[in-house]
Amino acid sequence: MEVLSLISQTILIIIFAPLVSGIITKIKNNLRFRRGPSIFQPYYNLAKYFSKEAIISDSASWIFKATPYIVFASTVTAVMIIPVFIGGGITQYIGDFIAVIFLLALGRFFLALAGLDPATTFGGMGSSREMFISSFVEPVAIMAIFAAALTVGTTNLTALYGIGTMTTSLILAAASIFLITLAETARIPIDNQETHLELTMVHEAMVLEYGGRSLALLELAAYVKQLLFFIMISLFILPGFGGLLFLIAKILVLAIVVAFTEVSIAKMRLFRVVDFMFFAGILAILALIAIVLGV
Amino acid sequence: MEYQTLLEKIQNKHPSILVGANENCDDEIYIKSTPEKFNELCLALHEELHSPVMSMFAQDLESHFRVYCSFLGIKYKKWFFVTMDIAKDTPQFKSIAKEIYSANLFDREIKELFGIEPLGNPDTRRLRLHDEVWPNGFFPLRKNFVPPKETGTLGEYKFTKVEGDGIFEVPVGPVHAGIIGPGHFRFSVAGEPIINLEIRLGFTHRGIEKLMEGKTVEEALQISECVSGDASFAHSWALCHAIEKIYGLKIPERASYIRAILLELERMYNHVSDIGGIATDVGFSHPSALASIIKELIHQLNIQLTGHRFLKGVNMIGGVTKDIDENKKALLLNVLPIILRDFNELKQILSSSTSFLDRVDTTGMLKKKTAEDFGVLGVAGRASGIAIDLRKNAHPAYVGVDFSPQTAETGDVLARLNIRIQEFEQSANLIQKILGKMTPQSINEKSFSFKEGFALGYVEGWRGPVLYWININKERKIERCKIVDPSFRNWQGLSYAVIENIIPDFPLCNKSFNLSYAGTDL
Repeated sequence: MEVLSLISQTILIIIFAPLVSGIITKIKNNLRFRRGPSIFQPYYNLAKYFSKEAIISDSASWIFKATPYIVFASTVTAVMIIPVFIGGGITQYIGDFIAVIFLLALGRFFLALAGLDPATTFGGMGSSREMFISSFVEPVAIMAIFAAALTVGTTNLTALYGIGTMTTSLILAAASIFLITLAETARIPIDNQETHLELTMVHEAMVLEYGGRSLALLELAAYVKQLLFFIMISLFILPGFGGLLFLIAKILVLAIVVAFTEVSIAKMRLFRVVDFMFFAGILAILALIAIVLGV
Repeated sequence: MEYQTLLEKIQNKHPSILVGANENCDDEIYIKSTPEKFNELCLALHEELHSPVMSMFAQDLESHFRVYCSFLGIKYKKWFFVTMDIAKDTPQFKSIAKEIYSANLFDREIKELFGIEPLGNPDTRRLRLHDEVWPNGFFPLRKNFVPPKETGTLGEYKFTKVEGDGIFEVPVGPVHAGIIGPGHFRFSVAGEPIINLEIRLGFTHRGIEKLMEGKTVEEALQISECVSGDASFAHSWALCHAIEKIYGLKIPERASYIRAILLELERMYNHVSDIGGIATDVGFSHPSALASIIKELIHQLNIQLTGHRFLKGVNMIGGVTKDIDENKKALLLNVLPIILRDFNELKQILSSSTSFLDRVDTTGMLKKKTAEDFGVLGVAGRASGIAIDLRKNAHPAYVGVDFSPQTAETGDVLARLNIRIQEFEQSANLIQKILGKMTPQSINEKSFSFKEGFALGYVEGWRGPVLYWININKERKIERCKIVDPSFRNWQGLSYAVIENIIPDFPLCNKSFNLSYAGTDL
């Protein structure tokens, strides 16, 4: 029974993940005096990609072909580990939050290799930048999650549902994870999903050579990863309110905040990302200090 | 100041250098020189006038070639042309690019179009007639030119090589994402920082100067509107200006004012579009959406005033075809405050955003010395401290309007942005002032008599000076038309401005120059 509900929960997340992006895009466009595409546009895009054949460079190796599957599979496995609305249960036997970070790192590793693989102008640039950014993102993410883990006393965050009230450390950890989310989901100020300028791209540059079903899987994995981070933040904020309706409400609020953030600031200079992640790191450290001080 | 004193001064410094000077059409001085004295004279003028080579071109005169090199004398309100004749059996001259670097591109242009060899210039690669498609030995602007039957020999264009540990070459283009022209950018990078950038253009070469030959002035006018679509009014005005000078035609003041108003509208829609473009390129999408709204408002204003969003079909020899009557004047006076109000909001958003200012400040610095050496003019030049604006310095249409060119010193993206912001507001202001000066009058002078001759037409377009040197022959056709769009030399400024910047900042630097591919490729 638990296995069935876990599977159905995962499938639901995969189904609804593109919608979150659709909603963010819609809000952003409305903020910019535009009508914008329908919130279901990500689904139309996926349907289009799935029905197209993929053209693969002659110089690409197996890594290029395998990467979309690895990225998609590792992201979906990560989703299975985090507690969503089925608290507790069998998820705790698969792995804990550290496993989530490592699974996402696995996907990123292969994506960076795939960016280099066809030896095109922009792919390598994207891979190098992604690795540069992730070398700051990963340690900060682990610190922020440790702060949450220390709060509940275990790295299995299902235990968060046991906490009725919010603590200072959880709020700070959530803020830190929010900044990481912006970096991980290729959003302004770190990256820009909407740009056509290859020279400025990070994530988009790595997937530039992909088309057809491979691209569809990578895009879907990116949507799922975004929703995963949103759920993670939702867990940290008001963890006592864990029901499905509360989760949806929290995700919608996050979507609005992300949309406002993206419209109201400019993208950073590439090397400024260090300062940005440094700030996220300080938030995570403050979360740890808050635990030690017991506030 | 009288230009004769200048010539005397040069004569005293360099005895026996001047061969003879002729005035032409009020503000042009032609100094006849010889291949031996040409370089010395050009250098003397360049130093005295502090002017880059504004235009340098050749003409096939059946018995020989004639090369012209022109300088702008701001103090004297005159254009100085130095000419020399080159025998056809020895088509070569001593390059002056070593002394005056802003002549370099013109050297290359003369070589590929006329087959006249600039001796001593180390860089004589082709600009537009690419080796890959254009065979050797065909020089399109010679009068006896016959188009080649076969395409080229698949020669190779040699880019400058930068070598060393960790230096990579990044080729970008010629096909780019988005709706822009084609150009190949070859970066040499050490990681993200750019060590060298070489730009190869010419992919949209349409042979406009050849196309102009043998056309009537009316046909030429239509072609000029298509040279660079976003500056079609500046280009057609420059052409009309040249022809009106040749005909000795005094156009009605009202026509001059209408032209000035429309030129300022063209400047406004392009400047606001670039300001929005700069915001887009740093992912700052809210102000860029606002900029598009303002741009659209101006386009709609254009269509209501002239029937064309890009102001085509308005200029004619002798004036303009569309009047700005009382209704249209009222419309302009109503819409301009709305545009300025929105623009002010845009300005506020940009200037109060630290994340935006951090991106544009100190990015893509073009030093004044570099800009001067390359002959960078217009918006990019003024942002680096070169205070040349033909509206102030030379153009009759702006006489009597209080106006001073906007300049900045830093030469970075922020400076070019600020110049655009200031010029936008200044243009709106100018339009209001000019509207106040208009008196009921005819808008074009239809009675004029044909004359043969040559003259330079010039207009300060929104990018910078647009120059048309035109020669009309006895058959009332265009004999030679030399077009210089400011983009032609400003591209070199871009390739130096990006050095030491990182690759992801290149699109931003590029947008802050926003140069025309079509205007360069001709």
